[in-house]
Amino acid sequence: MSIRHGLLALLSRGPRHGYQLRVEFEASTGATWPLNVGQVYTTLARMERDGLVEAGESDDQGRVVYAITEAGRAEMERWFTTPVVPSDRPRDELVIKLAMAVAAKAVDVAEVVRRQRTATMRTLQQLTRAKRDVTGGPAQLLVLDSMIFQAEAEQRWLDHCEAVLKEAR
Amino acid sequence: MTVLALAGVTRVHGDGETAVHALKGVSLQIAEGELVAVMGPSGSGKSTLLNVAGGLDRPTSGTVHIDGHDLAAVRDLAALRRRSVGYVFQDLNLITSLTAAENVMLPRELDGVRSRKAREEAMAVLTEIGAESFADRFPDELSGGQRQQVAIARALVGERRLLLADEPTGALDTPGGDEILRLLAARCEAGASVLLVTHEPRYAAWADRVVFLRDGVVADATDVPMVSAR
Repeated sequence: MSIRHGLLALLSRGPRHGYQLRVEFEASTGATWPLNVGQVYTTLARMERDGLVEAGESDDQGRVVYAITEAGRAEMERWFTTPVVPSDRPRDELVIKLAMAVAAKAVDVAEVVRRQRTATMRTLQQLTRAKRDVTGGPAQLLVLDSMIFQAEAEQRWLDHCEAVLKEAR
Repeated sequence: MTVLALAGVTRVHGDGETAVHALKGVSLQIAEGELVAVMGPSGSGKSTLLNVAGGLDRPTSGTVHIDGHDLAAVRDLAALRRRSVGYVFQDLNLITSLTAAENVMLPRELDGVRSRKAREEAMAVLTEIGAESFADRFPDELSGGQRQQVAIARALVGERRLLLADEPTGALDTPGGDEILRLLAARCEAGASVLLVTHEPRYAAWADRVVFLRDGVVADATDVPMVSAR
């Protein structure tokens, strides 16, 4: 996704200035996607150029407040109604690594699986700890849950690899 | 302080050519306040490990110590089990004709505690885990998650500080399973020790340490620092 869609979603709740958008963006994604304020302002400038937002008056501290336009609402609507397709995601290095380990023959694949499984479990433990400590709202929790489900899927897949390779030996 | 210590534990079921080596030399220690998860496929020896750890089964060789007592040398093993160890199983084993509170009181009454005191203790632990509101309901009137909470309360009532849990998330949905693990983790923070057997990575991840059991041996554990090479 692009940052612009995230910003449109936040602006749909009412006009905001850049710093406020950054804070709200991070609060919603549980800081899993850090943004700097510069990125926010460059994106807002492009969105203004494309007619998705309008810059309003500066507030008493000289910060420009942005508001979503009709075109911006339409673009946000389009984003929420279009499913994400898997090809948008990068190739998974681990999958390639294991396939190559099997192909290389001289590599101890079981050992590669074992190391990875322990490392993935550590990641899963860290994510679970982060989830225990979440103080924000459900948006943050759901972002963490997504990462937990992904790590869990990887763990299951590694168990599956181990079982299949054991059979094949 | 080490609450549970297994050293070089083996367990062979049967003998001769049909002998099954369920455990082939497992050493494992659990400290006070620690939550340890054992993960492994079926047949890896995880249930045998739990049974041996709790004194429900005896090792073929090796030693098991609970609170410093060598289980092989304990005269009244049943009493030690009742006083020191709580069990939570997948099939809950709550008694359906007793209320939640009465189920929790039962192990204390078996230990000779008077029923008024047993009830006080049961209500204390039920309150601690946030289950006091359904203390007087029968198991049939509770949700799966609530029944499992009662089973955990029963495992913790009295002085017991070691809890052995075999797939305690059973058939619960994901938020329900997370709640059970949240509860177990909170109990550990309050000083209990938990040995959890599970095949679900998402629940194992609540543990301080995850031990991978394969074919009766510890294949790996997350407490060994390792460099990431992703």
